[in-house]
Amino acid sequence: MKGKLEPSERQKLVEEGKNLKERLVTLEEDLLNLTDELQQEAQCVPNMTHPDVPVGGEDCSSIRKMVGKASEFSFSVKDHVQLGKDLNIFDFDAAAEVSGSKFYYLKNEAVMLEMGLINWAVSEVMKRGFTPLITPEIVRSSVVEKCGFQPRGTNTQVYSIEGSDQCLIGTAEIPVGGIHMDSIIPESSLPLKYVAFSHCFRTEAGAAGAATRGLYRVHQFSKVEMFILCRPEESNSFHEELIEIEEELFSSLGLHFKTIDMATQDLGAPAYRKFDVEAWMPGLGRYGEISSASNCTDYQSRRLGIRYRPESSIPPKKGKGSSTPTRFVHTLNATACAVPRMIICLLENYQQEDGSVVIPEPLRRFMGGLEIITPKIQIRC
Amino acid sequence: MGLKLCLSSTLKFSPISILRPISQSTKNPLRRSLLLVRALSADAAAGTTTIAPDTTPDDFRVAKAPQWKAAIDFKWIRENKEAVAANVKNRNSNANIDLVVELYDKLMNVQKEVEGLRAERNVVANRMKGKLEPSERQKLVEEGKNLKERLVTLEEDLLNLTDELQQEAQCVPNMTHPDVPVGGEDCSSIRKMVGKASEFSFSVKDHVQLGKDLNIFDFDAAAEVSGSKFYYLKNEAVMLEMGLINWAVSEVMKRGFTPLITPEIVRSSVVEKCGFQPRGTNTQVYSIEGSDQCLIGTAEIPVGGIHMDSIIPESSLPLKYVAFSHCFRTEAGAAGAATRGLYRVHQFSKVEMFILCRPEESNSFHEELIEIEEELFSSLGLHFKTIDMATQDLGAPAYRKFDVEAWMPGLGRYGEISSASNCTDYQSRRLGIRYRPESSIPPKKGKGSSTPTRFVHTLNATACAVPRMIICLLENYQQEDGSVVIPEPLRRFMGGLEIITPKIQIRC
Repeated sequence: MKGKLEPSERQKLVEEGKNLKERLVTLEEDLLNLTDELQQEAQCVPNMTHPDVPVGGEDCSSIRKMVGKASEFSFSVKDHVQLGKDLNIFDFDAAAEVSGSKFYYLKNEAVMLEMGLINWAVSEVMKRGFTPLITPEIVRSSVVEKCGFQPRGTNTQVYSIEGSDQCLIGTAEIPVGGIHMDSIIPESSLPLKYVAFSHCFRTEAGAAGAATRGLYRVHQFSKVEMFILCRPEESNSFHEELIEIEEELFSSLGLHFKTIDMATQDLGAPAYRKFDVEAWMPGLGRYGEISSASNCTDYQSRRLGIRYRPESSIPPKKGKGSSTPTRFVHTLNATACAVPRMIICLLENYQQEDGSVVIPEPLRRFMGGLEIITPKIQIRC
Repeated sequence: MGLKLCLSSTLKFSPISILRPISQSTKNPLRRSLLLVRALSADAAAGTTTIAPDTTPDDFRVAKAPQWKAAIDFKWIRENKEAVAANVKNRNSNANIDLVVELYDKLMNVQKEVEGLRAERNVVANRMKGKLEPSERQKLVEEGKNLKERLVTLEEDLLNLTDELQQEAQCVPNMTHPDVPVGGEDCSSIRKMVGKASEFSFSVKDHVQLGKDLNIFDFDAAAEVSGSKFYYLKNEAVMLEMGLINWAVSEVMKRGFTPLITPEIVRSSVVEKCGFQPRGTNTQVYSIEGSDQCLIGTAEIPVGGIHMDSIIPESSLPLKYVAFSHCFRTEAGAAGAATRGLYRVHQFSKVEMFILCRPEESNSFHEELIEIEEELFSSLGLHFKTIDMATQDLGAPAYRKFDVEAWMPGLGRYGEISSASNCTDYQSRRLGIRYRPESSIPPKKGKGSSTPTRFVHTLNATACAVPRMIICLLENYQQEDGSVVIPEPLRRFMGGLEIITPKIQIRC
């Protein structure tokens, strides 16, 4: 239409232009809608799965390793609730009044146990080259979603803050994943290995049953978490490294446990592969989960926008500004120490006939040298 | 729906809305009850009424009826009206003592009337038991009915008056220790000065700069993930926080305090009973969506709650706790330059001391608590002053409050690092914490009850507020090259670490 035209030709072109514009507007709207729909549907697609992962439900999970064996007791064992009562180290009743069910106060030596476990776990993992972190426990709900959790579903595990788009974290995985949100990390910085301490808050909506007695399933607990960001080709081996660290930690405390390769139906959307550790809890009379190690490959990083720029072996062409295209990192997370479950393990496994509990050696120097927790005769507060 | 007078001088009333101010809306049942009261009382005839202005400090509304009431000694307020009113004035409080006394008097009068009517009704009822002429019987029936109607109305008035009185009286702040200076911030007096500001031969950095150079904080990532006034601690700052907590708990335990780790989510009623206001505008309290729960701003709250609604044997007192928790504060309404870095944050770790004791001992335990604080801070080599806070800075629950402000060379001023309050019976009357004094007189044979219970006194004091301590340590112990020396007492709680040094290589 820029050239010289006959009026009738021009008019035809104007009509054609208008017609094209209308069709374009409609199609562009379709484009947006389709994009949104596609995005929504595609975001529901779970991560791919490692080929070695057993297919099926809970009963299909396979045992990778068994460590130690169940201690034998010459007396009838007590569970951690009874032990705690006799040692005067828990208060569930006052917590039920003040806060609600599944809350608790730790008292006396239980305080030293918690603090000792945290100090020990952070120290041990730092020795293996992880950077220690203490994280926020209130985060924007979008970050929670990007990590693969659902703050607003029914039966959500996530507490929300009234009047705000913020939530309480259920695990330090979330604020640690968020640190490098929307960034491009130089390849030379990888792997990034963090050991993070935080309190964790979970609604436990929908969880019921006898196994929720005492400390087994609670709304608030302390946890030391390991988190790795790495190049894709390394995530499988870092997964092995993480589970090895966990197994070393739990062995050093003398626990009897099994490491399980979780079957496909128990993975959760973000995990490519997940190893759970279940430790023997004699008072409960069964194995209970004390940790979980997941390789999330690029599921979280695609949502959190965490990329790295591979070092290019080819020097960039003269005049060309951009370097090699970025790739998404892989992320992994693993529990170093979930305090209440560890307290259950220690109390129940190390109980003695008189109700006292022996502290395993590696923890003692983190507990001011305390070697044994004994029931006291006098009434303490 | 009667009213029971219990043995103590406090009256028990049905739960009322303690946080609702007297609003302008006529939908407010409280206002309706006020109108009702005025219509009945002789004062109404005079045409003037003194309706208290919005007596609650914050302008807020509560949607649902409250679940609890403080056990307030109204009679004592009335008998000490001048002292109470003077105290209210000194504290610049909105409480209205005249109204409290007026309501109390009205209540007593209505109470008397009710009792009188009940007695009359009994007389009538008794007379109806005998043999009567039909006309006499009819007269009595009429009389009985008439009495019953008047009674019903008065009993309703009684309830409304009770609610109003409770609401007004709960706004009354605690009394004040006679030695507390009267006035505003500038009237607070310095009790003690410890140490002196270190001199630097180089220009000092503030903790934000020091932290940046040492690579131990991340405020930017936290702003993205969580919002402003959040932070990550990294590397040696993690060891500092954990070391400070371990040290503080250990030191206070040595002095005979029972260690505790507490819930950080509590019912909002417990927050209120401790003297905080979860639902005011500019509230410091985070609430959980879809629940009546809140996040704690201090371990004072869950520790105060442990002995809620209990009677403690005198022999158990004093109860001394050292509690560790994370604390969450909205810091709504707090602005300004002093909020840079770690100085004012939404989440932090704190070690708190809490004492429950007999009334006659609270002043001396207050001295004990401030002494422990001063010993702790001295042992770390800090320079600080202890301040006796003036009446306008006390806050409703505190009878007396000592703040410690430490010198922060990077900020160039003193900053509050701790606070020690004697709340006497303010919290215990709301939390329902009593003790039974041991009686020296053996109980009479056949008599079931022992000595009447009394309210305990409660005190709370900060042993260690981690971010403020980190500021103090970094800024005071910095060296010219940007490294920071760790004071000796903390080293064994930090794996022996003696100094934090800037590293050349880029760490994560």
